[in-house]
Amino acid sequence: MQSKTKELDPILEVNNLFASIENLPILKGVTISVNPGEIHAIMGRNGCGKSTLSKIIAGHPSYKITKGEIKFTGNNIQSLEPEERAQSGIFLGFQYPIEIPGVSNLEFLRVATNARRKFLNKEELDTFDFEDLVKEKLDLVKMDSAFLSRSINQGFSGGEKKRNEILQMALLEPKIAILDETDSGLDIDALRIVASGIKKISNEQTGIILITHYQRLLDEIQPDYVHVMADGQIIKTGESDLALELEKNGYEWTDNFIKEQ
Amino acid sequence: MQIIEEIKKNEIFSNPSELQKICLDKLKLKPLPNVKSEYWRLSNKSKFSSFLDHSSKNKECKVNLPYKKAFQNIIRLIIGENNSINLEKENYSIKELKEIEIVDYIKNNISNSDQNDHWSDLLNHCLSSKENILGLNISGNKIPPLEIFSASSPDSFNAKTLILFFEKNSKVDLIQINLGNKNSSLSQSTYLCLKENTSVNHGVVSYGESKSNLLNSLNVIQKTNSEYSLGSLHYKFNYARFEIRINQLNGNAKTNLKGIQITKNNDQIATYTKMQFNGPNGFLDQINKSLADDKSHAVFEGSIIVPKIAQKTDASQLSRNLLLSRHAKIDTKPQLEIIADDVKCKHGATISQLNEEELFYMRSRGLTLAEASKLQLSSYLQEVISSIPISKDRWDLLDKILKEI
Repeated sequence: MQSKTKELDPILEVNNLFASIENLPILKGVTISVNPGEIHAIMGRNGCGKSTLSKIIAGHPSYKITKGEIKFTGNNIQSLEPEERAQSGIFLGFQYPIEIPGVSNLEFLRVATNARRKFLNKEELDTFDFEDLVKEKLDLVKMDSAFLSRSINQGFSGGEKKRNEILQMALLEPKIAILDETDSGLDIDALRIVASGIKKISNEQTGIILITHYQRLLDEIQPDYVHVMADGQIIKTGESDLALELEKNGYEWTDNFIKEQ
Repeated sequence: MQIIEEIKKNEIFSNPSELQKICLDKLKLKPLPNVKSEYWRLSNKSKFSSFLDHSSKNKECKVNLPYKKAFQNIIRLIIGENNSINLEKENYSIKELKEIEIVDYIKNNISNSDQNDHWSDLLNHCLSSKENILGLNISGNKIPPLEIFSASSPDSFNAKTLILFFEKNSKVDLIQINLGNKNSSLSQSTYLCLKENTSVNHGVVSYGESKSNLLNSLNVIQKTNSEYSLGSLHYKFNYARFEIRINQLNGNAKTNLKGIQITKNNDQIATYTKMQFNGPNGFLDQINKSLADDKSHAVFEGSIIVPKIAQKTDASQLSRNLLLSRHAKIDTKPQLEIIADDVKCKHGATISQLNEEELFYMRSRGLTLAEASKLQLSSYLQEVISSIPISKDRWDLLDKILKEI
């Protein structure tokens, strides 16, 4: 498929990627390319490899790449640690954000933001300057500043956890954000808040990959491309109307496609 | 085991006190604890020997405190150096106990108990000279925080004893600091008696140096409507053993215990707790943590005893442990002995490693593995350290430990 922004160099290129966990193959030849300003959606049944793909791009140590490559801004990133990938501008919004009791959300956000700023040769922020910045970003996701004084995600509702993920994305200003089922567990109002936050953060330099099961997120954020995953591969790519087709016809056809393969 | 040889040959003191005589007689009959008993079986024998491998002829030297000078409103005492204190203020009083009161109290404590269980105290009282016994009677509810140091001298064995009586309605923050000097052994026995309606917030911080050993025993008696809270930390000892015995004498009392032991290198640190409920409506909330790295060994054994008289007891004991190395070892055994039939008692134990998903989450936000591990450890330690009175604001204990782990 031809890129809509082909004159730009891709931010992210995943080429024929094979990966496994504990010798169990999960990804079986994934290829995807994201250019600046593009929004891609990846859809598919549970267990088809969507979340695995996102974790592998972010550098999860439990997965092993057996073939293929991942390039970020033209450089192969396979040897980079997760923190090096994050600092250079890869952001993963977790499907199930982790609760970390005892670690202050505010301090965590400050350390993370400063790690990214250091990479960008920007001045690191002290506690006071950071509080000013974070309060400004809180408005994007309509979060109360009380969340900052709590432990990371501890006692947060599902919606609050997802908003906290988008708050982190806003602070880290990534080049590419992979949002893994950011819409799951959200009511209509929370979904709109999260979607609005994502739209405000994204710009012409940012690439976004939305991993989702449902059309409702894509009603709020219209993707440039929709990819359908099955059995560890991208089996079909189309434009936004492909998501509508999936909503209407479901994923049964993907089973037949895999069987025929 | 030079000390044991000296005990056997009666070479300890030329002019022993009454208390020393009693303990010496007991120890001469049975100089060592039964290493096969539940209470001692996990004790590393060679390390235990190294604890006893000093002469009892103490080399006392002035304690060089590595901590900031006490704030004005804190009363700082060093056992063996400045035991003289008699304060009579408008809202409180602190008076030295008479020798007879000390002897009677300790005699009463050790006479009716199993020698194996109280071996650490017997050894302590046998070797602790009068100068190394600090006994205080404390009353009042606006008592300044108390900070009591106990330290061993380098290349020596030192025995120190602390006895505190808290009179009715008194309320106090107390911190004990046990400092182990290099190549030394410290025996510290502490007795606290909380009379009716008292509230004691107690911290014990034990901090050693290279090849230092510690035998630390704590005996607490709680009378009706008293509340006792303990936050303890033991770190950096070749061999350390912390024995806690708490007796809610007539029930209707509250006990909160939070402790952590941190072992590295080849250290062994063990905590043994015995919680005895002797009346109805007792309450216990206990959490003990161990953090073991390198080839070290951490031990926790806790028992809760609820006889028939202790109806409506509400007790919880949790042992949470973190293994930082595949060569480290943790033994944990929380246990309940319940005869009363109308009680709420629960216990549990977990042993885990640093949570990889938590680490990945933090690393995916740009924190290095070292930063993420430090934050995780900090949260793990914080729960206990925040319960240690006085220290947390003054010493930056958490930062100090995190830098060293």
